[in-house]
Amino acid sequence: MVDKSTPDFFFNPRSIAVVGASLNPAKLSHIVMKSIEEAGFSGRIYPVNPAHTDVLGKKCYPHLEDIDDEIDVAIFALPAEKVVHEFEQGAGNIRGAIVISGGFSETGKEGRLLEEALLRVAKKKGIRIIGPNCMGIYDTISGLDTLFIPYDRVDRPPKGRLAILSQSGSFALTAMDVLAREGIGVSRMVSYGNKIDVDEADCLDFLRDDDNTDAVIMYIEGIDDGRRFVESAKRCGKHLFAIKVGRREAGRRATSLHTGSIAGRYELYRAAFREAGITELSGFEEFLDACRVVHRLNPTSGNRVMIVTDGGGMGVSVADMCADVGLQLPQLPDDVRRELEDMLPPYFTISNPLDLTGNATDEWYLASLEKTMTHELYQAAIVLLLWGPPALTEALPAKLCELSDRIGKPFVICSPGGRFTEKMSAIFETLGMPVFSTPEAAVRAASIILKERKGR
Amino acid sequence: MDHLLKDAIREGRKILLEPEAKGLLKSIEVPVPPYEVVRDIEEAQKKAERLGYPVVLKVISPDITHKTEAGGVCTGITDEEALKKAWMEMVLKVAHKRPGARIEGFVVEKMVKRGVEVIVGTIRDEQFGPVVMFGTGGIAVELFKDVSYRLAPVSLEGAHDMMREPKGFVLLNGYRGAPPCDVEALAHTLVKVSRLLCDLKELEGFEVNPLVVYEQGVIAVDAKATLL
Repeated sequence: MVDKSTPDFFFNPRSIAVVGASLNPAKLSHIVMKSIEEAGFSGRIYPVNPAHTDVLGKKCYPHLEDIDDEIDVAIFALPAEKVVHEFEQGAGNIRGAIVISGGFSETGKEGRLLEEALLRVAKKKGIRIIGPNCMGIYDTISGLDTLFIPYDRVDRPPKGRLAILSQSGSFALTAMDVLAREGIGVSRMVSYGNKIDVDEADCLDFLRDDDNTDAVIMYIEGIDDGRRFVESAKRCGKHLFAIKVGRREAGRRATSLHTGSIAGRYELYRAAFREAGITELSGFEEFLDACRVVHRLNPTSGNRVMIVTDGGGMGVSVADMCADVGLQLPQLPDDVRRELEDMLPPYFTISNPLDLTGNATDEWYLASLEKTMTHELYQAAIVLLLWGPPALTEALPAKLCELSDRIGKPFVICSPGGRFTEKMSAIFETLGMPVFSTPEAAVRAASIILKERKGR
Repeated sequence: MDHLLKDAIREGRKILLEPEAKGLLKSIEVPVPPYEVVRDIEEAQKKAERLGYPVVLKVISPDITHKTEAGGVCTGITDEEALKKAWMEMVLKVAHKRPGARIEGFVVEKMVKRGVEVIVGTIRDEQFGPVVMFGTGGIAVELFKDVSYRLAPVSLEGAHDMMREPKGFVLLNGYRGAPPCDVEALAHTLVKVSRLLCDLKELEGFEVNPLVVYEQGVIAVDAKATLL
């Protein structure tokens, strides 16, 4: 291992270099230069390429060693076989490197040798490496964007309090494109590809002290040092979520013990996630759901949910789904029931789910949620808000958000429907509150925010 | 505990013999059935008399890990005659199924009462270090992979939690009018076994299969151990 102190400089660089910066707009290195420019990085930027004198209006240096400055992060976007040489030559000047180039161990034996050579130099010179074969960093705090996908193809999310760690660049980028459209913000995104040095544990150690981040969502293919990862996650102190892909990977080498041969690798990852306090996500949709809920709501522990709706049938269906994922719907305590009976029409059935019927009003929604959710019994609410009842007004979204914030418990808003409903959902979204358009998605979101992932 | 491994390490063995594995269990205070290690049939009959029938006869061989498959286990032996017959048959069967396997002796063990069978194991993983597994009921383990895993060691609370994860837990909880099993004793056993690999660096894996759980207490009927 290289020096294992947390490589903070990747997240607040004062100076960066782009090695291989090209004038050709089709080259990755050119797009990286454009991304850096678009993201508005305010530190010093040094393009490096012996073929050019300037790139995108910035003075271009033949080699790293020609720059009379210490480079916090050197971004390498040139053919794999050239990376090692440039890296070695410029090593005196740089603290960290993001090696975007592919062509390393993921391609076979020759690539593996190049990768080993790269790591040897890094160790000798004490340089930290992200990658190779990665997309690097998108960081709304430091303003660094090393992604080689142009802005007109994939949008970047605004500033937010959610960090994304991803072995796969394309997975994270696709998710970020969707998040950007929904206005959901990100603090830092790191894609580390082959991760020969900087890995999940390093990033978690950095994020532990990062005041800009509340939650971390991870995409994991494989972890080399599982125990170190678990230790870093345990002390991170943020809300942690992860999707593990490659779940069908076979178990360990042949062993005469059932304990070793019965399960695949995945079962051990699950055990590790549990130990580390990481909530597991099943796939891309849950990855997005987790981003949506933690963007506005505070994850909490527990499994007791109150459902308030104006559509009885839909409410029962949500109740079934809650049971399937291990969420409980405790009946109302007597005192709460009596208060609701006094407030609501006498023909109402006061139960959980609570059906406010087609006569529902803003006031009924607010009062019943206030009465139930201030009780310690319930940890989250699913507000299954169907916009048919004519008395419901467009003032309700803001009031529901305010109530959820005031009580300090998450409300998961679910509004299936068409044109009018979409208009109302847009109001929630301007308030940053996610709206789930199917009961399935809402229940999934509730189980994520309650970190209750039973039956997986 | 280390002394229990020293013969195996000196001989360069990759597995512990059953009496060695049982010795480890005794040292961590997990109950095992009363047993004796014997070399010949007369000794076997004498010890069986003292243990009390019915007994189980098991082969001891450094070359055999799956004794049942090798014909090296005979259960439900009710008297002296039956023991002699079982002995003869076992010697022939093992010689046929595992030719060349060294036979170092036999275990005569008091046959235990029926209870709910579970499996408790631990193995050293290259990524995650020692992990512990729990599963219920014989074939359900292999057939349905109805097991749970945790990183080792587990706390008592963690043990209770992992016990409840497999569907087969209902069998321990008083299924079909049966009295509920001693899950507290089971949890303590899980905790103890989960510590084995943390304490003994030479061990690669350890497995109790079956561990029989009763209304009161547990008994480890068979145990296997592999060395690094």
